[in-house]
Amino acid sequence: MNMTILNGASGDGRGETLRAIASTVAAKASARNWTASTFDLEAMDIKPCRGCFACWLKHPGTCVVKDDQEPILKAIAGSDLVVWLTPLFFGGYGPTLKKALDRVIPVILPFFIKVEGEVHHPQRYPRNRALLVFGTQSEPDEEAGRIFHGLVRRNALNLNGIMTESRIYPEEAAPAEWTADIAALLEKAKEAVS
Amino acid sequence: MNALLIIGSPKGKTGTSYALGGALLARLAAAGWETAVMTAATALSSLEKQEDFGRAADRADLILFSFPLYVDQLPAPVIRSIEVLAGRQAAKNQKIAAVIQCGFPETHQNQPAVDIMRIFAQKTGRGWAGALAMGMGGAVGRRPLDKAKGIQKNTVKALDLAAASLASGGDIPEEASVLFAKPLMPKALYFAAANFGMKIQARQHGAGKRVYDRPYD
Repeated sequence: MNMTILNGASGDGRGETLRAIASTVAAKASARNWTASTFDLEAMDIKPCRGCFACWLKHPGTCVVKDDQEPILKAIAGSDLVVWLTPLFFGGYGPTLKKALDRVIPVILPFFIKVEGEVHHPQRYPRNRALLVFGTQSEPDEEAGRIFHGLVRRNALNLNGIMTESRIYPEEAAPAEWTADIAALLEKAKEAVS
Repeated sequence: MNALLIIGSPKGKTGTSYALGGALLARLAAAGWETAVMTAATALSSLEKQEDFGRAADRADLILFSFPLYVDQLPAPVIRSIEVLAGRQAAKNQKIAAVIQCGFPETHQNQPAVDIMRIFAQKTGRGWAGALAMGMGGAVGRRPLDKAKGIQKNTVKALDLAAASLASGGDIPEEASVLFAKPLMPKALYFAAANFGMKIQARQHGAGKRVYDRPYD
C-alpha cells in the first residue's frame, strides 16, 4: 500500500497539531509496512499554477514549471491513499496545502466524464484511491466545518476517491483526541482499496 | 466611490476571469466609480507589492474578486490575498463581491468557493455583497463580453443588473445571480465540444497520440 501525505501546516507556530497528526499517520503506515511519502509543503518551493494547460495539451502528464512539485506528482500517481492536512481557512484549505493541490492537474486527464451525475475529469493513473483530509480550527465554527466537509466530498468526486473521510480537530488538540481515530481510518482505507 | 478588482487567474487580463470581472468593473466606472485592477499572484509576489495591494484594498469601498474554480475552491493566490486582507483592519462599510466560474457545466460546483468568500467577508468585518457564479466558463473565452451576443445574453444582463445595484450601494440582486448561473448552452453540447476541443488542441500541439501518457508509471 502506497500513501502520500501532503502536510499543509503553516509555519507560524499554529501547525504543531497537524505536524503531530502527519507524524502519527506516517508512523502507523510504517508499522503496517506501507510506503509513505511525506511532504512538508511549507518548506517547499511550489510556484502557482500558470493555468497554461500544457500538462494536458503539449507534454501530457508533466508540468512546465520545474520546482518541488514534481516529486509530489510522482508520489500521487502511485498512491493508494492520499492524506491532506490543513488549517481551516474560512471553511476552505489554507494556502500552503492549496499551492500543491492547484498543481495536481498533470495527474488527471483533460477530458470530461460523468461521476454521480456531474461532469468531472478522469484520472491519468486510475486505481482504487482513498482520500483522508484532516483539518484544524482555532475555535469551533460549525458553518466553516460544514463547508470544509462539503469541499472534501467535492474533491473526492474529482479524484474518483472510492473512500473519503474528513476530520476537524481543535488546533490545540491532544493526541488522545485523534490517535485512535487515525488508526481506524487507516484500516478503513486499506479495506476500501484492497 | 472606489472599486478594486482582484483577478485570481494566472492569465491576468487575458483570461475569462478578467473578461467577466472587468466587464463588471467597467460598468461601475461608467457609473462614476474610480476603479483599479490587480492580479492576485503578482500583487503577492513581494512584500513591497503586498503592501501596495493592502493599501489599495484599504481605499476600496468594494473589493471584487474574479477567479476560476481551482480544485473546487479558490486558487492558492486568492487564498493568500484574503489571508492578507484578513490581517488588515477592514475599511468602514467595505464590501466584498465575487465573480466565479468553472470549466464544468454545473454552476453548483462553485458553491464551496462562494461560501468561503461569504464567510471571509462576514468574519473579517466586511459586508458581503454577493456572488455571480457560472459553469461552462470555457465557453466565455477572452472576447469582450459587450461584443458577445447569443449565448452570453444572460451573462451581460446579469452584469448590468449587478453593476446597477452595486453602483448605488446595494448588493448583487438574486435575479442577477440566477441569470448568471444559467447554462450558456445545452450540457450535452458543451460536454461533447469540450472533449472534442481538447483532442483537437492536443493534436495541434503535436501531442494527440500522447494525451493519455503516464510519465510517472
